[in-house]
Amino acid sequence: MFDKLADIIVNYVEVSKEDIKPESRFMEDLGFTSFDFMSMLGEIEDELNVEIDQEKAADIRTVQEAADYLESIV
Amino acid sequence: MNELCTDLRELIVRAEARFGACDAFRYKVKSGSESGKKDISIESRTYSQLKADSERFSAALAALGEQGNHIAIIGVTSYSWVVSYLGTVNSGSVAVPLDAQLPPEDLCELIDRADVTTLVFDESREQTALLASQRCGRLKNVICMGEAFNDAQLSLWKLLGEQNAGFECDIQPDRLATIMFTSGTTGKSKGVMLTHRNLAENATCLDMGFEPNQVLMSVLPIHHAYCLSMDILKALSIGSVICINDSLLRVAKNIKLFKPNMMLMVPLMIETLARKLEEAGPLPAAIVKSAVFGKQFHTICSGGAYLNPAYIDLFRKYNIEIKQGYGMTECSPVISTNYIGNTKAGSVGKLMPNCEAKVVDEELWVRGTSVMQGYYKMPEETAEALSDGWLKTGDLGYVDDEGYVFLTGRKKNLIITPNGENVSPEEIENKLGMNRLVLEVLVRDNGGSIEAEIFPDYDYASKKKIKNIQEELQKIIDDYNKTAPLYKRVFGLKVRETEFEKNTTKKIKRF
Repeated sequence: MFDKLADIIVNYVEVSKEDIKPESRFMEDLGFTSFDFMSMLGEIEDELNVEIDQEKAADIRTVQEAADYLESIV
Repeated sequence: MNELCTDLRELIVRAEARFGACDAFRYKVKSGSESGKKDISIESRTYSQLKADSERFSAALAALGEQGNHIAIIGVTSYSWVVSYLGTVNSGSVAVPLDAQLPPEDLCELIDRADVTTLVFDESREQTALLASQRCGRLKNVICMGEAFNDAQLSLWKLLGEQNAGFECDIQPDRLATIMFTSGTTGKSKGVMLTHRNLAENATCLDMGFEPNQVLMSVLPIHHAYCLSMDILKALSIGSVICINDSLLRVAKNIKLFKPNMMLMVPLMIETLARKLEEAGPLPAAIVKSAVFGKQFHTICSGGAYLNPAYIDLFRKYNIEIKQGYGMTECSPVISTNYIGNTKAGSVGKLMPNCEAKVVDEELWVRGTSVMQGYYKMPEETAEALSDGWLKTGDLGYVDDEGYVFLTGRKKNLIITPNGENVSPEEIENKLGMNRLVLEVLVRDNGGSIEAEIFPDYDYASKKKIKNIQEELQKIIDDYNKTAPLYKRVFGLKVRETEFEKNTTKKIKRF
């Protein structure tokens, strides 16, 4: 899941895949805006055919947290 | 073609008379299917249904003995939200739209401060409703937009089913219609009091040249004056079809579903969508626009925060016009806007016809029928903001000979985030400063996100044997972020080794 997520992240912010670490924080470290982040999750919903809870999504800070959350709903 | 309305009842009555059988709202409905996967369909409500349903809510409030009282509405944008809002104001009661993102404790405080006696909430705010029932002493009725969670609560649609449409109420234009909370410079949010005339004239005094039946998708939070006034009230007054975006996660998907012609946005969204357009590289502009927005899309209205004019040029390449506007809740909210045939580069638009402006010590002051009555139960703050009917905007700027407004900076100490939220740095500073390790703190905007600079109490750290002060301070920020809504979260930390420079009153110098 982490790998899949990293592939999508590079389409949203200017960061290379190898610089994305599990502990990378979306906004502080990767330069996401809140709307970038929401848009990316919307794309993931389609790719993985899942439904993401917007309130839970707002609590996600790191790539690992996002990967864990997505694993839990797939 | 817009006709000037002086109260919101008149606005709805006229809209219904002109557009009665046309769709006023479209929204997604999910239902279970045999496969277990949810099916999505679109439901719609006409102008006639909207008027009738809102009148039923007015009648329900009267039956509950709540006519004229303060009614809080908490929830995301929905048809039920709008029915509750219009039913409240058009019964002569006062609607208090609250930010659904706030923690339940903060919402209870606002419910008390606004003297609310009835709370209407959507199903996802169950915790807030339960807490408010226990804590808010004046609260008499708690109404759920869906099924009630317990016997003490009422269900909105059951209440409406018991009433007939056709509720009449003589609304005086200068009657208080809405109290909207906005961040204050002292850290305590202020309840902006807006009358029927304030809101109705702001929505109808300018003909922006939009045709009826334009499809608009509403993506902004409805408790904000910009969304309520433009996406809902103005859109209804010109016969638009308002499509409700159910989640910020699904803007792209919902654009494909609803096929809007127009959207009201804040700069943050425009920046993300600009990247989507640019990602397509050398493909023809018409194909890219069609893939991202659909062929039918033509206009974005931008407000809430500063938009780099480069985006206006970029979107024009794709045949999409961005109409930049400017306003504040205290002015219901639009002060100026660019519109068809009336645009000027670098300007935040032409002054609204119901608004005059002057410049005092470089600060822009405005006066007119959209200027608020004051802040609810805050006479000192009101006296600071209003002078002989003039509203001190807190923005530095000027108006040219043709009536176009130009902004040059800010006087007030508020952070305006790229998504249009106003954040009081003092509010966050007070919360972070409650920890003993934080001796002095300054919160500010850093390129679109909020940053805190902290001068820690090094003596305290040494007494408590705190070795990694940076880590400890980050924990304090993380704890604060856990309960703060997304737009108030602190994403940057700087640690100082020396105390801040102070002014003569011993306050930290901000700039």
